[in-house]
Amino acid sequence: MAKTYHRPTLLDHVRTRYFATRLDTAMSVLFGAITLWILWSLLNWAVLDAVFSAADKELCGHDAGACWSVIDARWRLILFGLYPFEEQWRSAIACAAIVLVTALSCVPWFWNARRLPVLWLTGFAVFYVLMAGGYFGLKEIPPQSWGGLSLTIFVFAAVAIIGMPLSIVFALLRRSELPWIARTMGLVIDTIRSLPLLSIMFTFAIVLPFVLPGWLIGDKLYRVIVGYALFFACYQAEIIRGGIQALPAGQEEAAKALGMSYWHRISYIVLPQAFRNALPPTINQFVITFKETSLVVIIGFFDVMASGNAAFGTAEWSFAHIEVYSFVALIFFVFVFALSRYGAYLERRLAVASR
Amino acid sequence: MKPTILSAVAGAAALAAGTAFAADDTRLNTVLERGSLLCSGHNGSFLGFAEVDDQGNWKGVDIDLCKALAAGLFGQSDGNLEIVPISWAQRWPALQSGDIDVVIKVSGWTQSRDTELNLAYSRPYFIGAFQVMAHAETEAESVADLDGGSICVSAGTSTERVLASYLESHNIDAEIIVFEKGDEVRTSYFGGRCDGLIEWAPSLAAARVEAEDPSAHVILPDVLELEAEGIIVPEGDPDWLDVQNWMLNSLWYAEAQGITSANVDEFKANPPSTTVGKFLGVTPGYGERLGLKDDWAYNMIKEVGNFGEIYERNIGSGSPYNLPRGINALYTEGGVFYPMIID
Repeated sequence: MAKTYHRPTLLDHVRTRYFATRLDTAMSVLFGAITLWILWSLLNWAVLDAVFSAADKELCGHDAGACWSVIDARWRLILFGLYPFEEQWRSAIACAAIVLVTALSCVPWFWNARRLPVLWLTGFAVFYVLMAGGYFGLKEIPPQSWGGLSLTIFVFAAVAIIGMPLSIVFALLRRSELPWIARTMGLVIDTIRSLPLLSIMFTFAIVLPFVLPGWLIGDKLYRVIVGYALFFACYQAEIIRGGIQALPAGQEEAAKALGMSYWHRISYIVLPQAFRNALPPTINQFVITFKETSLVVIIGFFDVMASGNAAFGTAEWSFAHIEVYSFVALIFFVFVFALSRYGAYLERRLAVASR
Repeated sequence: MKPTILSAVAGAAALAAGTAFAADDTRLNTVLERGSLLCSGHNGSFLGFAEVDDQGNWKGVDIDLCKALAAGLFGQSDGNLEIVPISWAQRWPALQSGDIDVVIKVSGWTQSRDTELNLAYSRPYFIGAFQVMAHAETEAESVADLDGGSICVSAGTSTERVLASYLESHNIDAEIIVFEKGDEVRTSYFGGRCDGLIEWAPSLAAARVEAEDPSAHVILPDVLELEAEGIIVPEGDPDWLDVQNWMLNSLWYAEAQGITSANVDEFKANPPSTTVGKFLGVTPGYGERLGLKDDWAYNMIKEVGNFGEIYERNIGSGSPYNLPRGINALYTEGGVFYPMIID
């Protein structure tokens, strides 16, 4: 009698994976019930029992679920912070511009040394002109009044734009054949990496004005961005160096043998491959950088966390901190999740190249 | 008549310019030259003192004092005042580095700040009292009535020490129940775990607003300990400090005289006494001595009102906090504040 192959159905799958023994069954039922209960209470709180409109604020209370009225009433404060109310459309378009540029830079067509910088610098210039004003009849608005999501995005984008080229320079300097350059760079990188980000921000925001000459001080926001970019560059430089060192030495030697100059070797042979190697940790670094922008609260910036605090920091809404924090968490989640999905896509794409 | 006034104004201007020249490095001149005042805000919000409304505008007691100062310096605060968001930790370095001109940020006057940090305090403008809130059903009218009951307090704060020493010195036998976090303390108090809750009075008022039924809680009048909040400027700048002190004096003087933002124009048109006339800039002198315009007090009152108005609008009966004025009233109403003599 020939053995017939029994193709496993979904039911078999579930049975073997979750209900194989009595213990398995008990565990599955128990944890399944707990999960369902948590999800159900969450749904109840967030949607079914929730109050959505600011007009229905009186319904919010101890029996009702989430009071999203606070978001309805204060979303503009959370998203735009202290930016003048009538001018907030500018802040909205500026945010959209940066998001668009980020989305476009995920398109492979832009991936070369000329298009990508041009794209980013254009997007950044649009953002800056819209936010700061002073041109094209737009009212001038100092960085003091920037806030909310647009400030978070500004800090993140500026750090990335300054930090990325800087990190490549750092990585190359650290791999220099002249020992005194390589050692000095190594010392600088290790020193900055051993300091907490918060203390670097504090130093740049508060201590620097005492030492720098007047014309060099600039706005507190720009000083903090420079400090943060330096911090970012040091970490990113080590990631890129890791990518470079993973390359077989033969690659560069072969390029040398072909008579390619240093810059040709670096830009055509070494860096493209190094970037591919370093991609997963680079995405990771970007995600961390985005999340850590909320540290600027401590030195008195009105980023999305601070404006969230301000949103429930009034007698009317002081009970609704959970709702506001959930909303801010959702904003961060959208950005970080998009970043990490994009990272996963890149990895799949690059895997094709090495197959 | 006209030439006399003109020459008087010119003389005053010359005198003002003269004093300005004599003390060129004072913060007052820096601010006047810049044309705007950089005042301390908050990163987020501090209930009743620095909040942000739906449209992103600042409001609160401290913010109104910033507005009063800007109005006194420039005639009006609109366009002449920048509220710089700043964290607690950052306020002193920011003041020293010139990121802000003045700290008005519910900051207590302590010895170490006054001496080691090289800060100069104005006279206090607010007395932050540690008080106890009790359930109305206990029918307590003072902390002594909570004898035999229990009081909730946050751990590791000065509040705990204040409560313990007060109960000991007044021979009140109440159980102290300590909680780790602020939220926990409030939740347990509202849950009926204890009869009383001790906190800084404005925070108590804010907590009461959060309660399901605010009228079911009373803030007992006993003051267990005080913290005096002042306006802070860098040390060694007496001119700038004078402006702060006389701003506060003007606000209290106006309140004592019954001058409000609504009736200040009538007072100016028809001053009841020569002092009030001088105060509102009808006759010269009141602003000139400080290097300001003579009608600076008028401009302040016109914009934010007297001290009573500022209080009631932001944390008193005109606000959801409904915090009784108590010790923060003028001496005539049982408080500790009083205007200096204007001569």
